[in-house]
Amino acid sequence: MNMRFAFLLPMALLLAGCPSTPSGPEQPDAPIETRVPTVNAGSVDGRDLPNELRDPKNLLSQRSVYFDYNSFEVKREYQELVSAHARFLVANRQLRILVQGHTDERGSREYNLALGQKRADAVRRVLTVLGVQEEQIEAVSLGEEKPKNEGHDDLAWAENRRGDILYRGEY
Amino acid sequence: MPSRRVLLLTLFLAASVFGVPEARAGLFDDDEAREQVQKLSKQLDEWVDTVTKAQIDLISQLQSLREENAKLRGQVELLSFELEAEKKRQQDFYVDLDARLRKFEPQVPDSPDAPAGEGKPAATAEAHDYETALKFFQGGKLKEASRALESFGKRYPNSSLLPDARYWLGNAYYSLNNCKKSIETHKQFAAKWPQHAKSPDALLSVAACQQEAGDAKNAKATLEDLVSQYPSSTAAATARQRMGQ
Amino acid sequence: MAGFFLNRFRNLGALACCVGFLAFPARAELVIEITGAGASRLPIAVADFAGETESARLVASVVRGDLERTGMFNMLAAPGVAMDESSTPNYADWKYRGADAVVAGSVAPSADGRQEARFRLYDINRGLPLVGSAYLASKPLLRLAGHRISDAIYEKLLGEPGVFSTRIAFVVKNASKSYELHIADADGQNEQTALRSKEPIISPAWSPDGAKLAYVSFENKKPVVYVHSLATGKRAVVANFKGSNSAPAWAPDGSRLAVVLSRDGGSQIFTISADGSNARRVSTANSINTEPFFSPDGRFLYFTSDRGGSPQIYRAGASGGDARRVTFEGNYNVSPRVSPDGKKLAFITRREGAFRLAVLDLENGQTQILTDSYKDESPSFAPNGRMILIATETRGRGVLSAVSIDGRVKQRLSISAADVREPAWGPFQR
Repeated sequence: MNMRFAFLLPMALLLAGCPSTPSGPEQPDAPIETRVPTVNAGSVDGRDLPNELRDPKNLLSQRSVYFDYNSFEVKREYQELVSAHARFLVANRQLRILVQGHTDERGSREYNLALGQKRADAVRRVLTVLGVQEEQIEAVSLGEEKPKNEGHDDLAWAENRRGDILYRGEY
Repeated sequence: MPSRRVLLLTLFLAASVFGVPEARAGLFDDDEAREQVQKLSKQLDEWVDTVTKAQIDLISQLQSLREENAKLRGQVELLSFELEAEKKRQQDFYVDLDARLRKFEPQVPDSPDAPAGEGKPAATAEAHDYETALKFFQGGKLKEASRALESFGKRYPNSSLLPDARYWLGNAYYSLNNCKKSIETHKQFAAKWPQHAKSPDALLSVAACQQEAGDAKNAKATLEDLVSQYPSSTAAATARQRMGQ
Repeated sequence: MAGFFLNRFRNLGALACCVGFLAFPARAELVIEITGAGASRLPIAVADFAGETESARLVASVVRGDLERTGMFNMLAAPGVAMDESSTPNYADWKYRGADAVVAGSVAPSADGRQEARFRLYDINRGLPLVGSAYLASKPLLRLAGHRISDAIYEKLLGEPGVFSTRIAFVVKNASKSYELHIADADGQNEQTALRSKEPIISPAWSPDGAKLAYVSFENKKPVVYVHSLATGKRAVVANFKGSNSAPAWAPDGSRLAVVLSRDGGSQIFTISADGSNARRVSTANSINTEPFFSPDGRFLYFTSDRGGSPQIYRAGASGGDARRVTFEGNYNVSPRVSPDGKKLAFITRREGAFRLAVLDLENGQTQILTDSYKDESPSFAPNGRMILIATETRGRGVLSAVSIDGRVKQRLSISAADVREPAWGPFQR
């Protein structure tokens, strides 16, 4: 994190220092980032969360449980992931999570909201069986409203049939 | 899992309290204890994993049972809907068939000056009373049926439905084992409306009653009468069979 | 090098900004499509209105547009006919032109500075005036005066109230992924934004008095039910329990709402007071129970449930009790909406993979599928029960469509470069 800052800062100064003429030292290796992330007002980036949750090598950095079509069962392949979060939440009783259930775009929005709730509830149930307290979890549904993949094919739909685990600070 | 930690701690304490201070060399040295603890810890891990997996399996089994149950419920809902619809269809079909058949049955005027049954204002009340009486009969309520058919005859002496009412009344008496009245009613019916489609059947019924009453002679006479009057009717065929016996 | 890029990027940004400001506000455009042969249409002519040209032209065109859009009238041209509501029409001449009815009128400034729109409707065959009236409106509201005139004509000629002066609500999803709750006249004009949000808004529902909208907003990363007073813009949270809160539906007397809460686990129907207090659970089946909708007499709730293994529509008492299944054809029947007279049920059915608007006659049990589209959603009846407004998709874009209950007349409302969805037809304005 700090290293990245250290890297970015001189470049920013450099850019500010040379307005129009490209006379400064060439920086062939420095990536020039012209894409600006769109930040939604009110969004949070979970800076204060424990490192385990953000370390890509840690299973806890994985937050999505995918479901089959018309299915509301946490598949075996995701049980390890859910168990890891359960252990983490049991060890850290002060942590709170939001489980967001999602569906694909087909069908009624409100009915899909109810289907997404079934998925969120399924994840919640596994977590509570593993010892997480009800107060630590809120299971909600976003239905078809927030697709991860905006496509309209089987692939996109599969990616959107999902339960996401968000830690407080991230929502 | 906290329970596992507590257990590990206990094991560890137990090992240190009983093992180390007493220092009974040979019985429980450090390495062995550590190995033991590790082994137990591993077993415990496996056990917790097994229980957890079992619990998760139970959840998914419960879920599939629920889905199965819902499907069955859906099938029950659908079947009862279809049964209901089928019943209604059958009823409509019966009513329709009955109405069509009635057109083919000879409409026998009671007397030349009687107005035609159809189109009469009273026709609906008449038809209703007739239907009610028939329903009693079909529902096995024979006494009610006979009473309703008797009063129908009194109330609508000029009705176009009167012949049918009399025929069914005869049948009702027959079913009530009132042979005397059955014979009387059916004989009157067949005599008064000889062209009625049901007259041969009425005679057949008369013969059956006479036979049951032990009056073989008259029974035979009735059957012969039936065969000569309605030679091509199905009732006549039955009559021939009975006479042949 | 890097600086060059940066500057270039800055300029682009500035340009984008300008474009943003210059861009025309998204405008709804209404396309009328009248399908189905054999619809008998009443020949009518609306003469140019007398008076101040611009206002008179506006009112006359609003009336013509309104009547024509219903698909129930054959609008005859009436060029150069000089008449107003006080002149006697040349009946013989109109008869010759084939008109059954003729409308004449005028717009003139009134003493208080507003505009006064007058009209009279004539029965050509019987040779007599049928109805006439006057409406006062400030200039910006002249369209509304036109709609009121159309309402009066429609009711006189067809024997049921017109819905031209009612309003509709719908959600617009912009290319910039922001969501707006819009209110517009029934013809899609006079569009206003009631709410803007970065997060989705769904399921708007008009209060029976037309003053408020209940809806579901995801602005708190979860569905929460709000009630929004349109005149003041004041919003109140009416259901924000742990879990999801959704699918608001007003009881006909406006005192309570049915909502769907997941606070007990699963999706269950509750009723709550309009202020959000006093939540009572209505549905008990251990399954999805959602999309509640009150029967017009307030005695029953129609809703969607998967208790039978597939989503189907059921009916139960408004305070609970045994549910009776209502739909049996197909394995996906959702979004029940009862007609204002309580005799018909509009819903969305899936047939051969396509989601279509269907109407079930609650008296004889017959179902009719009204569209051949593939992604119909969120039906809502016009307050006179004649049309059903739905969201659908054409060429991958969300549009609104109004379909007559016999499926013969279809109107389309679309907005360029935006998705329109979640329509709700408002009640009669009093």
